[in-house]
Amino acid sequence: MQTFRIGLLLGFRQIQRANTWTTVLIIFVMMLTFLNLIAVSGILVGLIAGSERAVQDKSIGDLVITPLDDEEKILQTETIRRVLDTVPEVSAYSIRYQESVQVTANYKTRRDFGIEPNAIGARALGIDPVAENAVTALAENVIEGEYLNPDESGYILIGALNLDRYTAGFADITGALEDVYPGDSVRVTVNEMSREFTVKGIINAKAGDVASFVYIPEKELRRLSNTASRDADEIVVRLADKTPETGAVMKSILLQQDIDSLAEIRTFQEALPKFITDIKQTFNILGTFIGAVGIIVASITIFIIIFINAISRRQQIGILKGIGINRRAIEVAYVLQSAFYALVGSLLGVLVTYGFLVGYFDANPIDFPFSDGILVAEPIGTLYRFIILFIITLFAGFIPAWIIVRQNTLNSILGRK
Amino acid sequence: MAIIEAKNIHRKFGEGALTAHILKGIDVTIEKGEFVAIMGKSGAGKSTLMYQLSVLDTPTEGSVVIDGVDVVALNERESTLFRLNTLGYVFQNYALVPDLSAEENVMLTLLMRDYDWKTAKAMARAAIDGVGLEGKYKNLPAELSGGEQQRVSVARAVAGKPKILFADEPTANLDTVSGTQVVDLIADLNKTVGQTVVMVTHEREYALGCDRIINMEDGLVTSIEQLK
Repeated sequence: MQTFRIGLLLGFRQIQRANTWTTVLIIFVMMLTFLNLIAVSGILVGLIAGSERAVQDKSIGDLVITPLDDEEKILQTETIRRVLDTVPEVSAYSIRYQESVQVTANYKTRRDFGIEPNAIGARALGIDPVAENAVTALAENVIEGEYLNPDESGYILIGALNLDRYTAGFADITGALEDVYPGDSVRVTVNEMSREFTVKGIINAKAGDVASFVYIPEKELRRLSNTASRDADEIVVRLADKTPETGAVMKSILLQQDIDSLAEIRTFQEALPKFITDIKQTFNILGTFIGAVGIIVASITIFIIIFINAISRRQQIGILKGIGINRRAIEVAYVLQSAFYALVGSLLGVLVTYGFLVGYFDANPIDFPFSDGILVAEPIGTLYRFIILFIITLFAGFIPAWIIVRQNTLNSILGRK
Repeated sequence: MAIIEAKNIHRKFGEGALTAHILKGIDVTIEKGEFVAIMGKSGAGKSTLMYQLSVLDTPTEGSVVIDGVDVVALNERESTLFRLNTLGYVFQNYALVPDLSAEENVMLTLLMRDYDWKTAKAMARAAIDGVGLEGKYKNLPAELSGGEQQRVSVARAVAGKPKILFADEPTANLDTVSGTQVVDLIADLNKTVGQTVVMVTHEREYALGCDRIINMEDGLVTSIEQLK
């Protein structure tokens, strides 16, 4: 007990009397190390998490209902719709129909039939504009023109990836429409049935296939494809609470209604492609590796700081031992210093992370080509990293102190080697 | 009654042809309550002898018994504890911890001896008062003169009432006035409380107040002067 008390006194006073700027610099280094540990892996994971969040918010909702494996359409879609209407936790749902279509533009002004038509093959999504907007806020993704008005007919939305000017040079590979703008007429063909539509708006979003679809009001798409059946290709459901736990509970409630005999129900997490979860794990490992390098650098920094501190006080350490202060008490003093640097640096890191960075990246995601990257900093992960950094720092402080303190007492007092 | 009995003390440094034989078989006996000065020119071995007697070093050969304990046989942990509980030190460079106030410097060994904070503080202040530095409890070493720092060092050495006080050239870094004050202080402790003192010095005027002077030359005791 007295050993610890003396160590605390010596360590506390050393910190108190140390040069302020040196202390600030060391704490700053520790804070940066902690941020490196949290932010690098957090942003790497956040790349995928941002993508996941965008897919959940803008594409597939919280629950996805799709046809059974051996069916082409969702069976008894109307039955499922009625079930969904009875579940209070369901805040909105959108019934979608899909068709492969050909979209041809500028066909009225085409003079030379010897050149390729301005046309592409695309997937059309038949939607109820109001219901779809309630689930995926599709209207927010209109980058040119306007969103579909449910009272109008003869209008479509085109995903930006179908347009030459948004495909960044990949148009030659993927095919894209040239010079198509809101207000232009295009011809949509399904199974040799064609109809002219006016382009109402252009849709773009970094979320799944949102920017690659052509959006047509579902009644007009079914009419065009001459489909009498109202069985849909996909139903996306938005829940009042978007958490994975609620998603799982809602799935089980729907399963109790025997919907699994009509369609397959998956939560958002289950519907995510496996490669996304694989990439997420890979980025997590990569982030941890980079963080580990950061920890090594920080521990070497602390080692050097404590070593220089202890070696410059070698004579004083010798005298302390000479007057009867035991080795452990002196070591505790130096370990306390490194603990102080680690603790204050980490706490500042936590403050910066949760008080600023997480909120900042949420509000201003990093604009990556395939997603809007956010900073993912799970509190439990942060706690683990803090504990690891803290323990390693304690060792980094202890080892140099141990090296100096174990030297011969008289040699230390006299400054002999 | 002898409190220190050292017999046939040898201290060598290095090996083979490079061996330096600093102490060449010294017998010293110091009585309880005695004030002894060890004198000699630079390189005579006086400080080395004091290190052997004060358990800061271990002789290459010979025995040292302090207060009935064979200190040569103690391991590092035991010798640290022995120094804490039995011995007090005044070093020539004051050897105060620069980050601690005067009273905290004095409290260190008291806290290590498991006195509670309040008692240690009271004892430290009493010791500081005893060396004439009333009111300078909170001063850092850098805020004290060399003489004052050495007096704090004396206060630290005697606060825990050690059986023997060792002083290694306590006046070496002080002017004559401060040096005299420090030596008078140590002599006063010897007179008033019967503190056993072993002091190394190369200045004869400071040794004249001692009971006995052990003169050394080339690693051997050349003469002993009994002054009182």
